[in-house]
Parts: sequence; C-alpha cells; structure tokens
Amino acid sequence: MTFDMEGLDISILGPACVAGLIVLSTHVPLGKQVLSRGIIFIDLAIAQIAGLGVILAQYLGIDEHGFGVQIAAAVAALAGAGLLSWTDRRWPEYQEPLIGTLFVLAATGGLLLLANNPQGGEHLKDLLVGQILWVSYAQLIPAALLSAALLVFMWLRRGRLAGLWFYGLFALAITASVQLVGVYLVFASLIVPALATAGMRGRGRLAAAYAIGAAGYVSGLMLSAVLDLPSGALIVWTLAGCALLAQLLPAVRRSHPAQAAAETVFDASA
Amino acid sequence: MKLFAIPALLLAAGLVSMPAQAKLKVFACEPEWGSLVGELAGDKVDVDVGTSALQDVHQIEAKPSLIAKVRSADLIVCTGAELEVGWLPQLIRQSGNAKIASGAGSFMAAAQVKTLEKPSALDRANGDVHPDGNPHIQMDPRRVLIVARTLDARLAQLDPANAAVYQQRLADFSKRWLAAMTRWKAQAASLKGRKVVVHHISWVYLWDWLGMQQIGALEPKPGVPPTSAHLSSLIALTKSSGTLAIVRAAYQDPKPAEWLSERTGVPAVSLPLTVGGDAQSKDLFGLFDSTISKLLGAAK
Repeated sequence: MTFDMEGLDISILGPACVAGLIVLSTHVPLGKQVLSRGIIFIDLAIAQIAGLGVILAQYLGIDEHGFGVQIAAAVAALAGAGLLSWTDRRWPEYQEPLIGTLFVLAATGGLLLLANNPQGGEHLKDLLVGQILWVSYAQLIPAALLSAALLVFMWLRRGRLAGLWFYGLFALAITASVQLVGVYLVFASLIVPALATAGMRGRGRLAAAYAIGAAGYVSGLMLSAVLDLPSGALIVWTLAGCALLAQLLPAVRRSHPAQAAAETVFDASA
Repeated sequence: MKLFAIPALLLAAGLVSMPAQAKLKVFACEPEWGSLVGELAGDKVDVDVGTSALQDVHQIEAKPSLIAKVRSADLIVCTGAELEVGWLPQLIRQSGNAKIASGAGSFMAAAQVKTLEKPSALDRANGDVHPDGNPHIQMDPRRVLIVARTLDARLAQLDPANAAVYQQRLADFSKRWLAAMTRWKAQAASLKGRKVVVHHISWVYLWDWLGMQQIGALEPKPGVPPTSAHLSSLIALTKSSGTLAIVRAAYQDPKPAEWLSERTGVPAVSLPLTVGGDAQSKDLFGLFDSTISKLLGAAK
C-alpha cells in the first residue's frame, strides 16, 4: 500500500466533496422514501432510461454535446418516471419487479440501438455516468440550483410526495446526480444513510442520515487520496463503513429496523 | 494549498534534499511512452505512467494521485488520436496545469507519424470514425523510432541543460533499436503474408510492418457485442483462409477469442500490446521480442 500525500489537495478533492454534498442534500430525503416504498433499484432504472434517451436523441440528430443531451436525458427520465408512477397505481404489488424489468429493457435497448448506430459510439452509453473526481465547479452550479429547487419543493410539501410528484422529482434528481458522481455513488447515497437510520424518526433521522453521508464522502475522498485508490468506489465503502459505525450510537440503534421499521420498510412492496 | 498543513520538518527536509535544478517531470499516459522516455532520458527526468498494460486505455478510473501527477508535470507524453479522449481532457482540466494543456508541454505520439485508417472524408456512415486514424501506433517499430526522435527533441527543448545527454541517449537507442528491427524482421520473415483474425483492431501497425494480413475482427465496434451473422461469417472465413492465429490484447476478455478458436481449430494468441503486457515485455525491446515469438509459436 502506497501512501500518497500529494493527492491530499483541496483543489483536487474540493469540487468532488462539494459534488458529494450536493448529491446528498436531495438523495438523503429521497432515499428515505425509496426505502419506505421498497423500490430500491429505481435509481438504476431511471439512470438507464435517461441514458437511453440520449442514445435516442442522437438518432434524431441532436448533438451529443451541450444542452440537447440534458433535455433528452431529462425528458426520457421524466417519461420513465411517468410510466413507473402509473404502474405504481395500477399494480402496486409488482412495482419492484416492474422496475427491474424496465432497468434491463432500458440497458439492453441501448445496446440494440447502438448495434446499428453508424457512429458505433462506445462512449454514448457512458455519457451520463460521471466520475466524481472529474467534476468542476462550473458543473456544480446548475446541479446546486436544481437541488435547491427540489429541496424547496420538498419542504413546501412537507416531505410528503404523492405518486407522480415523487417519481418526477426523483427522475430529475437522479439524472443530474448520475452525471456528477456515477451510478454506484448515487445508489449508495440514496440507500445507505436511509438504511442506517431506518430505526429513527423525524428530524433526528434526517440529521443523522446527513451526518453519515457527509462523513462517508469526506473520509472516502481523503482515504482515496492517501491510499491512491479510485475515489468513487472507495466512497461507497466508507459510506457503508460510516453507516455501520453509526450503529454504535445508542440514539441511532435504539429502535432497530429489524424490529420497529420492518413493516414500514417492506410493507409497500408486499 | 494543501488540505493538511505539511509538517515544517518534512518541508525543510524536502528543501535541503532538492537538487540545484529540479528534474523535468514527465507524465506518460501509456507504459510504452513511459518506457521510451526512460530510454531517452534515463535518470534525468521523473516519469509517472498513468495506465497499465492490463487495462483498457480507452477508459480509466479517476484517482486523486492521477490529478496530482498531471498537475506537477512539465511534459505529458500520450498517444493522442482520440485514444485517451474519454479521460485525458478531464484530467488536464482538473489539473489546472496550463504547461501541459497545449504547446511544448503536450506531446502526442500519434501526431508525429502518419496514421493508418485515417478517413479521407469525415463520413459518419463509415462506422466508428477516428478522424485522426488508428491510434495504436506503438506496434510499429519504424513509427516508434520516429516518435523517439521527435520526443528527444522535445525533451532537449524543455530541458536544454541536459540536451547533450538526450542526444547521446537517442543515438544509443537508435543504434540498438535499428539492430533489433533487423533481427525481428529476419525472425518474422516466415510470418509475411500470413492471415490473422483479431479481437479488436489494435494491431494494424504490426501487420503493416510485418506484411501480415488481418482478415476479420471479433468485435468490430468496441463495446458492442457482435451479431450472430457476423460470427458465423467469421467462422467460415477463419476456416477457409488458412488463418495463422486469433489475436487479442492481454487486457481483453479471452472468451471471444477462445470461442472462435474452439470452432475453427485456429490457435488463440494473447499479445502484450504494450510494455508490461506479459512477463517478457519489460521494455520496448521485450515487447517486440515477445510479440514476434508468440506469433512464431502459433505458426509452429
């Protein structure tokens, strides 16, 4: 194991850290809902659908760089969200398998489209998958504005988001965050803090989840610099590590999910 | 600004041990260019290599140290021709190092030589278009020598104090390289005109140099799985053409090549593609020694 202090540089880790905190700001409260609805793979499905939207847009001749891509991704993600919101009402008991099916359809649909794409376009599939270290401050401004708008909206609705609103907000948040930090981190930011605090209630839960998420990102970035390991992958592990450590606190563990929250976690999909 | 205050002691020690003139810092995107810089500059420069032979250089995982290395570099030596398009632009932007963003600090090997498969007209209907041609130039020793000469001139330009050393090392390298080229050509004489099937089109320069012929590819478009129609025609073609070998790079999945090998009886061969791709490829000389001996092994 090599120790590399060179990478411990605020100008290298700073933008990545801010990106992580922006992603956490919306994903922690959304993750709580995802967990209580029991649809944990929805973020992967939405990200895949947004990617499919970009591939389709290219077919229609929209430039792969620039604003058109964002519109295409957002429109596709919102369409996917609309579909999922409808299936949620129509067949609530099958929502999770339907999300899984939509995920593989979107992923393989992209492959089928690219197979005959004259441009080949290996990178198209990865267009919407960011790596946290490549984030620049300029990229963070629109993401921060979007997150602020989403947070204000959630606050106005007091955190209660019914069907279509939830899926729509979720789709926009995911499409933005996947481009900043990649799918693994999006999944971890949504699920891990919410899962670690599943036994808690109210504002305390939100605060604890934010603290776990922030600790995970900061320690992951610093460790990845010192140990010279890929940042995104390591943050997933430090997030999980911080979530486990938090279980040592009686306040977090008090009513463990295994007892108190088991029904709320799994009822929605049962 | 450092995130952590470096202990004053360390800093002082660093200042004391620093030589009168700091060494030129070179960041090489691929091992073959790191190795070439080593041949030309020896211990006159510090070289960091961004990727290893066992990974696909089209895409890499971002590590903080990578940005730190590019930030402190005086010269980057990369392939160019869009090979690193998926990560190098971001890396340069994140590093904020204007020295290597363009101009003398940025050396692109493919830009120094004539590339193959360069489309005459930019027609997107022709498939995966690389406007600058096929970037995998390191498998042609003639082109490596041209790159060595221009790279040496660049080193001398950036570090004039050591220009004489670079010049002398280039002369030495050229002599050894030309002798090795004659030897390789003689060893590979029996390979001339032989046909190969490849995993991906990473070898066009090797075939061009050795006079070999590539008759098909398992994965014509990178990242897109081949169709069954393509595979069945490839089986027929491989069988009927007296194919010498099915060639893949060390980092590529062995399954497709072995699949085709099983159905055609043509041996599958894994070639290093760059320095470090196998045990024998410790430097550029070993890279070609190993490549030719593996191809000859398939011919037996």
